[in-house]
Amino acid sequence: MRGRTSQKTIFAFIGPSVIALALIGIAPLLYAAWTSLHFFNLTRLRQLRFVGLENYQTVLTDSAFWQAMARTFFLLGTSLPLQLALGLGIALVLHQPGLTLVKTLCRLSLVLPMATTYAVVGLLGQVMFNQNFGVINQLLGGADINWIGDPTNAFVMIVFWDVWQWTPFVALVLLAGLTMVPGEVEEAARLETKSWWTILRYVQLPFLVPGLVAVLILRTADTLKLFDMVFTLTRGGPGASTEFISLMIQRVGFRAFDQGLASAQAIILLIITIVLAQIYIRVFYKEV
Amino acid sequence: MNLKSTLCTTALLAATATAANAQSGDWSLAEAAAPYAGTTVDVVFLLRPGYEAIQEMLPAFTEETGINVNIVTHPYENALGEQVRDFVAGGDLDIALIDLVWIGNFAENEWIVPIDEIMEAHPELVDPALNMDDFFPLVLNAFGGWNDVIYGLPFDNYSGLMFYNRCMLEEAGFDGPPETWQELMDIYGPALTGDGQYAFALQSKRNETQSADSFARMLWPFGGSFLNEEFRSNLLSAESQTGLNFRQDLMQYMPDGIVAWDHAETVNAFAQGEVAMITEWSAFYSSVVDPETSRVADCVAIAPEPAGPAGRRPALGGFSLAVASQADEAEQAAAWLFIQWATSAANAVEYLERGGVPARQSAYADPSLTETYAFIPALVESWQEGVPEFRPRFAEWPEISEVVQEWGTRMMLGEVSVEEGATEIGTRMEAILESAGYYSGDKPLAQ
Repeated sequence: MRGRTSQKTIFAFIGPSVIALALIGIAPLLYAAWTSLHFFNLTRLRQLRFVGLENYQTVLTDSAFWQAMARTFFLLGTSLPLQLALGLGIALVLHQPGLTLVKTLCRLSLVLPMATTYAVVGLLGQVMFNQNFGVINQLLGGADINWIGDPTNAFVMIVFWDVWQWTPFVALVLLAGLTMVPGEVEEAARLETKSWWTILRYVQLPFLVPGLVAVLILRTADTLKLFDMVFTLTRGGPGASTEFISLMIQRVGFRAFDQGLASAQAIILLIITIVLAQIYIRVFYKEV
Repeated sequence: MNLKSTLCTTALLAATATAANAQSGDWSLAEAAAPYAGTTVDVVFLLRPGYEAIQEMLPAFTEETGINVNIVTHPYENALGEQVRDFVAGGDLDIALIDLVWIGNFAENEWIVPIDEIMEAHPELVDPALNMDDFFPLVLNAFGGWNDVIYGLPFDNYSGLMFYNRCMLEEAGFDGPPETWQELMDIYGPALTGDGQYAFALQSKRNETQSADSFARMLWPFGGSFLNEEFRSNLLSAESQTGLNFRQDLMQYMPDGIVAWDHAETVNAFAQGEVAMITEWSAFYSSVVDPETSRVADCVAIAPEPAGPAGRRPALGGFSLAVASQADEAEQAAAWLFIQWATSAANAVEYLERGGVPARQSAYADPSLTETYAFIPALVESWQEGVPEFRPRFAEWPEISEVVQEWGTRMMLGEVSVEEGATEIGTRMEAILESAGYYSGDKPLAQ
């Protein structure tokens, strides 16, 4: 019958994706959930046993876990607003009429930081922020700032690199949102008011909201699982000043080999991420 | 059975097998390996000079035996995880590369085969020149032995040494390096620190460098240790506290940000003439005397690490090679032949010349070698006085090391006092040991 699609066709189209998702995403998740309920240490496999919610109890009462979580959210709370502010500024500049070639080149150059491997960013950071030989101190007039060995400076350095790498992503997403604003509506608004803020708030922002929510969700998830760059740059140190939650999970799971505890930590992190994503969608997406 | 008798038993077995092979006349590696020609053995190597040295020598082994050695190279930080996952999953590795702090882990999980068993199963493969007594006893025991059983032969061997800039010391009026840590602090420290230069640098980055090269280095010479005889934390003992407080005080003569310095930064600062003295592994010798990488190549001199009130207790580190139990019979035989060859007295000098550090006493007998390799006397002296449990070698060390790395750096940064940090490490260390079963008697108190 014309207009109706058979079940087989539907399955043929979406089946492969569902199977792939099940194999790549859901199966490991179920395995992690199973692991989190066991004492499962790779170097003590003979002691493998069901322990119920003991791992979760350990995680929830571990001050180090919550300190790492707080540190991660502090990073999110400092780097994400910076990325949004700078990204929006870049997007608005690139949205201005004229200078087509320059804007095209700028858009292309925005891709470069995102295309740089996280681990390479960390290694670059080690060299550039070296106290004695690093280019950053040279650019600061031969300053003698101890970037990597000072807890506060090390954190600032991580924020810097995160902002450097991901502001372009925010800018490109918001630029895409700005191009969705109908030209005649924007033109009419400009005839009505000279206030750029009024135009942004009442004309452009509604078109930016879907992109902003996507950015919030993606950047939150990315920050919660930020690992490679920090691992190669500071390895969580000095002290625990840059030990974010993903580094802690890696440390427990792959250096102490306690897969059960690490899985419980990862499941709790997943739950927090899902809750945050729901909050973003409910608060921001509907209210504007 | 104690270590002495274990070594004797292993040596006896080796002697019996080697005598039999020697009597049978012309034992040759090629003939012994003939049944296994074409066999491939898999092993993890590190990105370090000793491994590059053996890789350069490897074509000769393959040509003579027909045995292929498939090397998978990893940085140190990944090597343990890669091997653990391979052994847990029943993977391809036929030879285990064992850092001395991994030996308890590998042995208790039965991932490696005791040498006695290999020699009993394959007496015809035992090289008549094996001569176990030729290995430095401390090194053989610490790197290859666990709970009175020898599993591996020492392959890539280090001792902590003091590298000092002779020119800087002479300019400051010293005719030699400090004999004791206290001298370094009281006399050398003030005299050599100033104008952008520092007397000493102690690599203390938050990884194994913090726990092994920094924290443990200051415990032992002052009479401290991680554990007491009952396997309880000994970090609050007067001796341990003295050592850790000494480290804290000594930081005034070190560059800022030393808690972020790994081996590379430390060796580089020494090679650039910014630091007068460092305590580093013998393996870094070649890079500090190479004029292409060192501005102080002509000024480099080597001494044993300074002594503390408890004597000289230099850092001890290194790797052994052992046959993996997951390998099939042919692979085990081929692996054993490779291990004997790689650690043999016959190849030791060539290994040394190519950048490795052999653990064969006979390799250092030629006095002329000392002219080329100035670290040899200090190295040999250090291997007489080290402690095998410099870092406990049981399976729980990686977990404990992570705790030491975090709280050791926090201590150095002043975020917690030495006593608070030691208490925190001690509490967490004991929790790990309790969970492992040491206090319930499930596991022997071996480290």
